[in-house]
Parts: sequence; C-alpha cells; structure tokens
Amino acid sequence: MDKKIWAVGGGKGGTGKSFIAASLGLHLASLDREVVLVDADLGAPNLHTLLGIKASHPDLGDFLTNAVPSLEETAVETPYRGLRIVKGSENILFTANLNHYKKLRLLRQLRQLKAPNVILDLGTGSSFNTLDFFLSANPGVVVATPEPTAIENTYLFLKSCIMRVLKLYMDHYKIQDLHQKMLDQIEKNSQSLYGFFKSLMESDRSYGTILYRALRSFRPCLVMNKTRDERDVLLGRSMADVARKYLLIDMKYLGAVPNDDDVHESLRGLRPFYLEHKDSAAARAIRRMSEDLAYSIEFTLRTPPEIRLPDA
Amino acid sequence: MLKRIEDWNYYELLSVERTASQDEIWQAYQAALATYRDGSLAVYGLVAEAERGLILERIQEAFQTLRDAKKRTAYDLALLRHAPYFPPKAPFRKSVGKLEIEDAPPKKTPWARLMRIFSRNP
Repeated sequence: MDKKIWAVGGGKGGTGKSFIAASLGLHLASLDREVVLVDADLGAPNLHTLLGIKASHPDLGDFLTNAVPSLEETAVETPYRGLRIVKGSENILFTANLNHYKKLRLLRQLRQLKAPNVILDLGTGSSFNTLDFFLSANPGVVVATPEPTAIENTYLFLKSCIMRVLKLYMDHYKIQDLHQKMLDQIEKNSQSLYGFFKSLMESDRSYGTILYRALRSFRPCLVMNKTRDERDVLLGRSMADVARKYLLIDMKYLGAVPNDDDVHESLRGLRPFYLEHKDSAAARAIRRMSEDLAYSIEFTLRTPPEIRLPDA
Repeated sequence: MLKRIEDWNYYELLSVERTASQDEIWQAYQAALATYRDGSLAVYGLVAEAERGLILERIQEAFQTLRDAKKRTAYDLALLRHAPYFPPKAPFRKSVGKLEIEDAPPKKTPWARLMRIFSRNP
C-alpha cells in the first residue's frame, strides 16, 4: 500500500495544529481516501473534540499500556465516511513521557496502520518524542501564526529538528564526538550552522558531506494560520526564505489560512469547522494546501480518486 | 551548495533565476526588503541585528546591479566565467494515469515478433 504519513507540528501552542490536522483529514476523507487521524499530542490531546467526538476507549494509552495488542485496534470509526481516529490518551502523565522502546513500537505500528493516509497531530514543543514523530513523517507540516512568539518558537522547532536529524546521523555513523561540538556551535547564533559545516568540511569532508546531505533531506512545509491581511500572508514566504538562507533548509511555503471567527463558534458547538463552513476562505485554503501536498511531485498519490457521478 | 551569505550571488540573494525579467527582479527586491527590513517579523528570534543589516546592504547592492542592463550583463559575464549556468529543468510530474509495468503493451522488437510467430505455430 502506498502510505503517506503526514505530521502537523509546530513550536507554539494555540497556532491551530489540531485544527489543520482535523481539516486535512476531513478533506482527504471527503475525496474517498481512507484516513486515520492520530492524536499524537501526548501531553494535551484534544483532536477528538475538534471532530465533535467524546473521549472514549480504546485510545492511544490503551495501546501503550498493552491493553490492546495493536494500534490498528485503537483506530475507531468516526461519523465521517473514510475517517478513523486514534484518540489521545486520558492517562497523560504516563503517555507524555514515553520511553524509547514504546516510541519505536508506536512508530512501527503507525506504518502498519491499514490506511493510505495517516495524519499525526503533534504536541507543542521540541521534546525528542515530538521531533521523532515529526521527522518520521513525509510531509511534515509546521503551523505558525503571524505573531513574534509563534515565529520565534517555529524557528526554535526547526532548529531542534535540524539538530535531531544531525544527531541521528552522527549516532548512525558513530561520530558522537561531533555532537557536543555541534551543540556548542549551533546554539550561538544563526550563522553558526554554516560555521559548523564549514569547520566540519575542513576537518573531515566525508562526514561533512554526509551530514550536509542529511540536512538537505529535511524539507518541512510551512502553513501560516490565522492571517488577517496580505502582509501576514507574505510573512510565510519571507520565513521560508530566511530558513533557506540561515538554517540551510528548503522549507516549502504551502500558504496561508485566513483568520475566521466561525472557527470559534464551530468549536463551541463541537462541530468540525471544515464541514460546517465548506465555502469559507479558510476551508478553501486548506483544500488547496491539501491538494498541493497530495499531488505535488514528491508526494504523488498513485491512485487517482474515484470519480463519483452526481445522483440522477 | 554550502556558501556563506556574503558569498551568495545576487540572483541567489534575491531568490530569482538568472533569466529573471526586470519585473521579477523588482518583485523579488520588494519581497526581500519586506523580509529584512527593520522590525520585520520574519527574522524575529533567528537573525541578529548586525546580520540583518549586512544582508540588507547586499540586497540593495544586488538590486542596483541587476536593474541596470549594462551592469547586469557585466555581472552575468563575470558569473559565467566563475561557474557555468544551467537553467532549471522542467519539473517532472508523475502521471497518476500512467500505465503500470504489468499493464504495458508487449514490446514490438523483432525478437518478440519472431517468438510470437513460433508460439502461434508450434
């Protein structure tokens, strides 16, 4: 099965990660593509609420505590055709601090879910668990809002991802001594990433090349959520340019989702905004992004969607 | 391409192709100014003030050169001497309607034709 694991993450809370994840899931499901939404926000799960579903068992916690043998069994049906959900655990204290073995088991089982599209809704912050889930997915979508706090945390999140990618490669090639050097250098300032690679290329070109290729293979996508004017929309493009120049990564700017007060109303009424306001500018933007991601060169889904004839 | 920002050429700085028209250069310049202007949110928390000033200076320099046809030609020639330019390839897009290998019609090589004749008349 041609499986895509999508991850929606970001550095700051309240940017709309769960909203984007839920809307992407609903859109893909409406195209007759089977989707499993996984609430991988281990600290504060609430994806089910955005879909108007009450918390119930089985959930992710049941899988992690071995109450159910596989993740597939925790993926329960939703009222929306083609969409299943793995709800977040109510036992937050236990699941928020996953050990390495449980994390690997979860990552393995995510790949075995019986659906062509798996969407992970990640939590805030740069914990190793969150970073590893984000890096295991392709496409990985970073959600930001046009506010200094969100932008600062987005760059921090991207920097953490970069350092995690490099650390994983260093571990694999058994060059752990470089790790401390990297931590010391990259933490200093934005130009330090270049400085680190420059000195590495001079001292050991082969390892430098491997790590630089690893860095270039990290290609996240950016969504600017809750935009209010054209300046906010362009901010996303500027951030992608800054990331290219200073973090040496190719970040694709997917586009902006305009701010919509109806999101709040839908949430209060426990109704999915995407289905309730299908013709709103925000829903249209999500559709465009979803299609851009699903049909773009790298993420081509090989099977065309089934063409449904209108009812006679 | 591992280059310090100071070493980026004018086209890389403005994120345009070397074949960019004057309009495209103007738009890229405006976008770059918006990105690196004083108080820009896009650099918040990542780029230090000194670095921002430096890149802004280079962007001005790039625009001043690229908007002038004579200066641009001289600059392009200097760039070409340094490294040849290969325009970007047309993006390849997998067709979702593309035939899979098992669906493909049989090859019409002379050998295949011969085999077909013998298989029909054993």
